[in-house]
Amino acid sequence: MRARNSLYIFTIPALVVLILFFVHPIILTFNMSLTSFKGIGEATDVGWSNYERIFTRERYLREVWVTLWFTVIVVTSLTITGLFFAAMLHRLPLIRNFARAALYTPAMMSFVVVGYVWQFLYSPINGGINVALRDLGLGAWEQNWLGDPSLALYSVAFAQIWMFTGFTCAIFLAGFAGIPEEIGEAGRLEGASSWQRFRYLELPLLGPSITVSVVLTTIGTLKTFELPFILTKGGPDGATRMLSIEIIDNLFGQYKFGFASALSIIMLIIVLAVAFLQNRVLRNRENVT
Amino acid sequence: MSSTLDTATPVAQAAPDWDLIRRRTKSVLVHGFILTLVAIMLLPLFYMVMMSFKTATEISQNPLGLPSSLYWGNYMAALSSMGYVRSVLNSLGITVSVILVVVLTGAMAAYPLARLNNRISRVIVMVMALGLATPNFVTITPIYVIFRDLGLLDSYLGIVLAFAALKLPLAVFFYTGFIAAIPIELEEAARLDNCNNWQIFWHVIRPLLAPVTATLSLFVMLMVWNDFTYPLLLLTDKDKLTVMIAVYKFVGNTGIDPTKLFPAAVLGSLPLLILFAVFQRRIMSGATAGAVK
Amino acid sequence: MIRTFFCTSAIALGLGSVASAQVVLDVVAWKGNEAEPAGLPELIEKFEAANPDIDVELTYVARKDVDKVIPPRLQSGNPPDVTMVDSSLVDLWGGAGFLADLGIDSDWYARMQPSVSKVMTRDGGIMVFPLEVIGMGNFVNMDLLAKVGIEKAPVTIDELKAACTALAAEGISPMIFAGGFPAMLYVGANGIDLNGVSPAEYGSGDLKFVDDDNFNGSLDSVRDLVASDCFDPKLQAGLDPWATAPEEFRAGRVAILPQGAWNIGSFSSIDGLNYQFAPMPSRFTDVGLALDLVGPGWAIPKDAANKDAAQKWIEFFADEENLNVFLEAEGAYSPFVGGKSTMPDLAATYTQARADGSLILWPFSTLEFPKPLQSEWEDSITGFLLDIDQPNEKTLQRWDDIIEDNM
Repeated sequence: MRARNSLYIFTIPALVVLILFFVHPIILTFNMSLTSFKGIGEATDVGWSNYERIFTRERYLREVWVTLWFTVIVVTSLTITGLFFAAMLHRLPLIRNFARAALYTPAMMSFVVVGYVWQFLYSPINGGINVALRDLGLGAWEQNWLGDPSLALYSVAFAQIWMFTGFTCAIFLAGFAGIPEEIGEAGRLEGASSWQRFRYLELPLLGPSITVSVVLTTIGTLKTFELPFILTKGGPDGATRMLSIEIIDNLFGQYKFGFASALSIIMLIIVLAVAFLQNRVLRNRENVT
Repeated sequence: MSSTLDTATPVAQAAPDWDLIRRRTKSVLVHGFILTLVAIMLLPLFYMVMMSFKTATEISQNPLGLPSSLYWGNYMAALSSMGYVRSVLNSLGITVSVILVVVLTGAMAAYPLARLNNRISRVIVMVMALGLATPNFVTITPIYVIFRDLGLLDSYLGIVLAFAALKLPLAVFFYTGFIAAIPIELEEAARLDNCNNWQIFWHVIRPLLAPVTATLSLFVMLMVWNDFTYPLLLLTDKDKLTVMIAVYKFVGNTGIDPTKLFPAAVLGSLPLLILFAVFQRRIMSGATAGAVK
Repeated sequence: MIRTFFCTSAIALGLGSVASAQVVLDVVAWKGNEAEPAGLPELIEKFEAANPDIDVELTYVARKDVDKVIPPRLQSGNPPDVTMVDSSLVDLWGGAGFLADLGIDSDWYARMQPSVSKVMTRDGGIMVFPLEVIGMGNFVNMDLLAKVGIEKAPVTIDELKAACTALAAEGISPMIFAGGFPAMLYVGANGIDLNGVSPAEYGSGDLKFVDDDNFNGSLDSVRDLVASDCFDPKLQAGLDPWATAPEEFRAGRVAILPQGAWNIGSFSSIDGLNYQFAPMPSRFTDVGLALDLVGPGWAIPKDAANKDAAQKWIEFFADEENLNVFLEAEGAYSPFVGGKSTMPDLAATYTQARADGSLILWPFSTLEFPKPLQSEWEDSITGFLLDIDQPNEKTLQRWDDIIEDNM
């Protein structure tokens, strides 16, 4: 199997890069997490006390929960909306390119701008959404979108879903493009309805794209920082404070690099664990169908 | 409705073809529905563009309304201080280079990982996953130090390498997933023809990855174009700055001024939109053709 | 051949050394861009005219990004020649030994206001040239007040309550009290007795917030404001203090907004907005309390390449005429003694309160309150607003916990 083994050469450039750019910094981060480094100057060793603190304080455990729950909401919704638009657009070649570009544009804008626009839309007194509701006579539905602790996380999730639906749609469209035409034809000839074709023919063949989409959006959402930070900064009073926000706050707000490194390592472990689990489940599902 | 098949008699054709009308109406409705959804999705952006054409006073008094007239002053002001053309060219050059490097290295690395399922490949996949899972700020200082030691600071090569390295795990992950879906028979046929690994990769696998490459390129394009942390860190020469750094000049420290920032942001994202539109049509049409084969 | 080579290189070196007389001064600041010019573009031109051998390259880096982008440069020995710093950066970078001592024997050091120099000097040296002291207080829309017959901006709590009640009766939104910043200004102004204990005693943990009469009184005072219809606390909790709140004020939809004087530029650009900048009503004074934020300044990193040019840059700003260009654009006060104020008339009440001595330095900017306490104030005061009838100690205890954690 000499031909097979020599295949490994193909991975060498990528490996070199990965070790230099990721493995090395992660080792550095882990070392930092055992100290009380302030980002500059000397670092004093504190052993495992940073980790101890993370596991014993309610605040950090709550943040892990918020992060996980937020990710579940966003990933599920993104998969559904992405599949919906991709399936529809697959059947509507006339508007496919235009619609895909249109759906993608939210992701093309910078976070600062998107955050500002949504903040305005969500503003309780005279924000776009509340004013629109008032004008439509639905004033009773006005909410304090970002200020009500029970609602804030969902508002942020909605903005995130809005921004990234184009991503998942694009991934699924690529998956659709890989489905041979004959299958769709065969289904139509058999008299299957659009929904039946989707459910029994296309969905199983979309296995790889679903895996890619779910794993990527999960990892991305677990790590996400910009949009939630700009919209709520973790407020109100910690209702939307995710791990990423806590890390940045410790890193650059309080200069507690050592502690932030410990949080980063914890986050890394969580992300890896979730990613592996998902990958295994989804790949098995792919192989079975 | 078998009567619709009977087109021989002119009398039968005089009756309205309900089936066709029904299908057409349904088609129009469905198209319209999706387009409406898309339009609703775009409302916040439409609002942003509207705001970029208003004066500060107008924004305060009538935030949701259409601008009374298209006030180009904001755009003039933004353009005059952005060094627009140069920075767009920089962004373009860097983005395209990164895409080329990432696509090639990523697909190459993914090929063995998708085909071979043994301990070594599993370890490599784990390292790859590490790359995906790493939070962004972990890499900033180490990269700066490494680049300083290698003399890559303030150079196009440096920034392209940095971005390519950061996006590589994404590419590998993408490709591993999709290569696995390519039937192995194609490769085995090529091997029977005495092709070596590289030939199989380049002539058999690579063309079939077209839709994935297209999608991946769009993602990478987006992430690299919009990132301003790394250019800020690694580039100091004014002539090398990217367009997002130019937009960044309009961001203040406390709150933002929409009349200044939004025109700049629109200008900054415009090339991306155009690139996207052009790119998408060409690659996507090529992609679907390749897939059918 | 070799002789020609040596000749050419000698000439080249000679030319080179003439050319290298042109120094490029690498300055990093979070002002000076399109959004916050602070008069720097014209000051740079003036400086370059006065020093023809120095070329100034100003790189704008937002305050949040300075934490990310400058430390790698400092640590690898490749820092900018001049960098803007504030008190927490002086503490961090200076404490780690990366900033040069600018010397307490300089002429401008002697001219510093005693309160500011006390904050900035550490270990007998000074590592920052302070540029400004910027005010924080109440922005008051005079036209809206006039609608309910009030001619003067409220500076005492009773005046404030009266104004609120009158405005609310007319259906005008009286006050913004977002937990993220405006509320903090009020709570601080009513918890720190300018003639009482120094905030540093709380910050060091010697005094506890939870038993403190002043801060308990401050939170009670917030409830009084709610009772006078100043604002709906639950609504204020979700309001963004940096973009949305000033926008509400600019649109003339709210009468009173506690914020910083850096908003003066953008408020004055709105036609028809008739407003004043007044000191914060406080229980401890009759003329309102001026809350001065010790602003940023210039520092020279120890490993800077062009130290002499950097010194000239600092001397340039020590000149009152030049500094005033900066201060006027910023809406700030000079950190030096004497000198005429560049503040506009609409800030007259604030300037007067300062002159009368009714002023405190904002403890978060002097580091008397540690940095972690700032985000805790933001969170806990928002929490307090969401549940305004909860006992004070729930909020105050959180502050004490953070102080303890920090030690």
